[in-house]
Amino acid sequence: MTLRGGGEHGPPTGQAPSPSAPAGPAELGAPARLSRATLARVFWRSLFLQAAWNRRGMQNLGFAYAIDPALRALYGDPVLREEALRRHLGFFNCHPYMAAAILGGAIHHEERVAAGLEPSQASLRYKQTLQGPLAAIGDGFFWTALRPFFGALGALGALIFGLPAVWVVLVVYNVIHFALRIGLFRVGYERGDALVPLIARLSLPVVADRLRTGGAALAGGAAGLWVYHAAARWPEPGAPITALAAVAGYLALARGARLFPTAYVAALAGAAAALVLGHFQGSS
Amino acid sequence: MGYLVLGLVAGLAAIERKGFLQAMLSRPIVLGPAIGWALGDAAGGLLLGTPLELLWLGAVNLGAAVPVHEALGTSAVVGGAVLAARAMGGPVTPELALLVALVALPAALVGRWAERSCESWNERLALRAESALAEHRLRAAARCNLYGLALPFFISATVAPLAAAVAAFLAPRVLAAAPSLAAPLRVGFYTLAAVACAAAAKALRARAAPRAFFGAAAGAAALGLFALYTGRAL
Repeated sequence: MTLRGGGEHGPPTGQAPSPSAPAGPAELGAPARLSRATLARVFWRSLFLQAAWNRRGMQNLGFAYAIDPALRALYGDPVLREEALRRHLGFFNCHPYMAAAILGGAIHHEERVAAGLEPSQASLRYKQTLQGPLAAIGDGFFWTALRPFFGALGALGALIFGLPAVWVVLVVYNVIHFALRIGLFRVGYERGDALVPLIARLSLPVVADRLRTGGAALAGGAAGLWVYHAAARWPEPGAPITALAAVAGYLALARGARLFPTAYVAALAGAAAALVLGHFQGSS
Repeated sequence: MGYLVLGLVAGLAAIERKGFLQAMLSRPIVLGPAIGWALGDAAGGLLLGTPLELLWLGAVNLGAAVPVHEALGTSAVVGGAVLAARAMGGPVTPELALLVALVALPAALVGRWAERSCESWNERLALRAESALAEHRLRAAARCNLYGLALPFFISATVAPLAAAVAAFLAPRVLAAAPSLAAPLRVGFYTLAAVACAAAAKALRARAAPRAFFGAAAGAAALGLFALYTGRAL
């Protein structure tokens, strides 16, 4: 059976559900299935997961906001609905893309809770169990590999092909991003606990490692092109100073130098060196 | 008008960065040309967006860690450069870009500090949501999440134009006072870009990163210089 979103105000606390509320599937003995429109609404709201990120509950407000349309559709009784929303206002923190899988899985469990097939804490346990491991996978893959790789690709592409390369990179990144985000939400919703082996099969840590190495090579390619650009505009001091900055900058950062001071020192030292070398060239 | 547009784009970028979507739209490589386009010089935005992307490639929100605010930094630097160039009646040049960057880059640090304030503000929103729930106002409780978008928007929409205005005021005056500094500053821009590449490779934390970085840098530089000295520009 398919349920639709409930109204703004249900009957007062403690009263029985109104006759217009969706029939409780518990009486039917099978979990209710949410409509596609409700699922789409939940997914859209999941894009706001970190809107009110805070140190107390981290993404708790975002999760409650996202799952709210599903709870309204599943629980005709406002007391049960309030109880469900309260459990999703508890602490939650995950990678925002991977959280889509947990959101889908939490709805999967809420359908069973609403049907009386699982205890009310089932969706909470599901969230608590998966949020840590999926956050680690998501941070390791998306934030420290896939996005930096595309950032470096965009930078190198911009140096070679100009602005069109940036738009191509942006589109390709988002095709991958949304395919995974939507896919994870669907898999979480349809398979619930069976989500874990499916994510394991993606071998994201292995892919991430290759993307990181590739990203470093792209950054190297960009450094080489900056040397070329410097040589094209001012060959004598420009190219060697730029090349030296890349080598010295990497070594300094590898030894723990802080990024901001390193960048300022490099820019000012480069300009000063060019000024001095230019002066000598001019006087010889 | 330019500062209003800059404030609007910077505010929206701050929202996209963490509160909504996170689809790379607020990364410097996209935001730079976007701001440049909004202010009338997409190429100038790209000139700065490219090194800034590499400089802040490692700026990511991991758990409770708060990185520098690369979107606010990019908005301030690119906005300042394009508006300064517009006032000077030309495009963004590397020397102008460097001067503006030196003045406006700390906006990214201000953004980091501001993000911590936003997190404290959001704690109050969480308490407000709990109160609403206790009063059985379920929709109001859920909606509290969206109020968290307001403060990051407001901070970026204010700080970015301010930092850009300071940079756009100072940089042209320095260049006008010492025109002989233009060529050395241009080299300074390339050294900043080269260090940004090194920072990107370092931020990726791959075991093979040093080999990949130096190998690719040597290859690309050799190819470029060969093309340059044989008269075939890349």
